[in-house]
Formats: sequence, C-alpha cells, structure tokens
Amino acid sequence: MLTSRVPAHGRERGATRGDSLSLITNILINLAAFALLAVGGGLGSAWYMIEAGSRLSTRSSGPWMTWSAAGRPDADPYTRAHTVRNALLPLASTLEITYQAKADSRGGRLQAGCEYAIVMEGLDGGTWWSLAAFDGQGGLIHNTAERYAFSSDSVMREPDGRAIITLARDARPGNWLPIGGSKVNLVLTVQDAAWAAAVHEGGAKALPPIQRLACR
Amino acid sequence: MPTLPKWLSEVGWRTVIGALLLGGIIHITATLAVPLVSSGPAFTKLRDTLPANRMVVLPPLAPGKQPLPYLPPDALYAMCRYDISVDSLTVTAAMAHAGWTLSLHTPQGDNFYVMPAQESRRGDISLTVVPSAERLGEFATTPRRVSAQETLVASPSWEGLVVVRAPLKGLAWRAEAETALRRATCTPVKRQ
Repeated sequence: MLTSRVPAHGRERGATRGDSLSLITNILINLAAFALLAVGGGLGSAWYMIEAGSRLSTRSSGPWMTWSAAGRPDADPYTRAHTVRNALLPLASTLEITYQAKADSRGGRLQAGCEYAIVMEGLDGGTWWSLAAFDGQGGLIHNTAERYAFSSDSVMREPDGRAIITLARDARPGNWLPIGGSKVNLVLTVQDAAWAAAVHEGGAKALPPIQRLACR
Repeated sequence: MPTLPKWLSEVGWRTVIGALLLGGIIHITATLAVPLVSSGPAFTKLRDTLPANRMVVLPPLAPGKQPLPYLPPDALYAMCRYDISVDSLTVTAAMAHAGWTLSLHTPQGDNFYVMPAQESRRGDISLTVVPSAERLGEFATTPRRVSAQETLVASPSWEGLVVVRAPLKGLAWRAEAETALRRATCTPVKRQ
C-alpha cells in the first residue's frame, strides 16, 4: 500500500496537523456559539422584555395590555426601561391605568383599512376614561375632522348608557374615531384608583372587546 | 425527526453553561442601563422646548405637533421643567373638573406625586417642591401639608417635570380650560 511507504514520522506529522485543525475548528465553533448565545440571547431577551413585556411586568385583558407598574417610582426595571426608551410620561398606575391594543379581539393586527366597533360599558360611576387612536409610532393620525379621541366626557351615549365608538377611515354616524396610515394602536386610559389597585394586585378587569366589522 | 447540524455537536456543555451565565449578566446590565443611557426619555425631548421653572401652556395636540408619543390628545397640557438645585419651587394650579391632574415626574419618567381633581376636591391647589433628604443630606422630608392649602413635596431628583393635564369635554370647553390652565404657575422660592 502507498501509505505503508510513507515514513512513520510523516504520518505522525499529518495526523498532528489534522488534530490541530480539528481543535482550532472546535474552538472557533465554541467561541461563535458562546458569543451568539451570550450576546444575542442576553440582548435579545432584554429587548423583548422591555418592548413586548411579559407576565412579570404586564397585565392583559383580551386585546388590551398594560404595564401594571408604569409611572411608579418602585416600578420594576423592565417597566422603567420601557417608559424611558419610548419617551412615555405615564401617571402612576396607582391612579391611572393605560391600556394599549395593537390587535382586535380575534387577534388580527389593527389596520386602517378595516372598520372596528368598541362598546364602552361598565366604566362609569365616577371613572374618567379616554380612548385614542395612534399610528404605530404613537403619533396622532391626520384627519379632516381633527378628532383623535373620545372620553367619558365627550362621547355620545345610547339611552342605556353605553357608548358605541366606531373606528374607520371614512366618516360614520355617531362616535366616529378616524383611523388612517397603515398600523393603528389604540390607547385606553382609565382614571380610577380602585380600578388601578385591583389591576396592580392581579385582579382581572373586563375591558371592551374590539370587534372587526369589515375590511376593504 | 429533524437532525441537528453536525457542527452543533461540537459545542460543549461548558460553553453553553458559560454563555447562559454571561447572557444573564448582559440581560440584567442592558435592562438596568437603558434608563441611564437612553437618549429618548420624555425629559430630554422636552428640555429644549421648556424654559426652567416656568409654566408653559402647550398648544393643542395635533399630528406632527406632539411633544411626546401616546399623550392623550383630548386634553390641554401645561408643563414646567423645574430645577431645584438652587431654590425650591412653588406650584399652583386650578383643578377645575374630574379628570384634571397635577403630576410631578423625575427625568426618568417616574411619577412621584399626583393630585387628581375629585368631586370633593376642586379649586386651586398649591404645593412646594423641595429636594429630598438624600439630596440635601438632612432629615427625611416626606410629602406633608404645611397649611390647609399648601403641601410640601420632596423631589428625588434636582430636575423634573410638573404636568397639569386638563381633559377637554369638547371644543366649546377649550377656552374655559385654557383660561384655567393659564392660571397655573411654577415659581422659584428661596430655600429656608
């Protein structure tokens, strides 16, 4: 055989070179995996917890989500980072709870091309609330009616006390809240200390569903 | 059953454990560092537009004219950027209707004091903002009433924001709300 004619010291040199190459490859793979897991995992998980939130720092009710310790000086680090990173100025959640919805009650992303209905009920009895529509970056949506929100003071009510708010690009009768652009974020602010206390203690509060009526 | 790539079998368990530990440290460090290094807190955005220790009534919010994202748009706002490194600050405001609030925030957005208007508590309110005990190195200064109309509030930071929010019932109430907001003041007073 050809290999049998190769001197012994030559075979050893070849084997050593192969082992070295294998060792270097192994080290490089481990270094890459280490960096990916440590840096990617560490920063990625931090970004997710600060931007999207988790059960540690948020409470959800249907499509509505709130940072339960927002504005409080004793808020958890994720909530504080979320507030600072997004340039928010929330009132302490001991008084006022701010909910945000990016999807309707069936889970579809809120879009300006669709029409939605929200029936506000069960939020009265001294509770002040406000429902506003924003674009994906928290900016107001331009509309000729110059209408950007309804509150418990400004909304028109049905004879039974409910208030039906319709979100659509084009004018609708009643409480029409114009939407536009592409993505829509809804913000529901509820000012009620008893409500806020219940949310902070983990109590579930029923919030109005967001019903998708039609899409273009 | 899907097979793992061959190179993955080269990754040792020590590497995984080490990476998870370092990843945890990076996660905690990044989370805690965001409030310290972020360039976009509300206070930074408002610093250039608000003079120190003076109440400013902001124009009604409109698309492209929002001082901050996600501010409730059906309200008028008066804001005062305070700096109590030299003098304390007296704040007065009218709490005209339900939903009106007077709030104090640190540069990081912490709302350390808020006074809402209530059915049983309307009219002018007055408070004095002083540095907290940690800032002055003195005995603890907790929020307390110094008279029937005035409250002493300890600020955990030298700088911060006073925000008076006046929800609008409708266009017809805008002038009335604006008049009430313009009565809000933010005045430095010599520290005793």
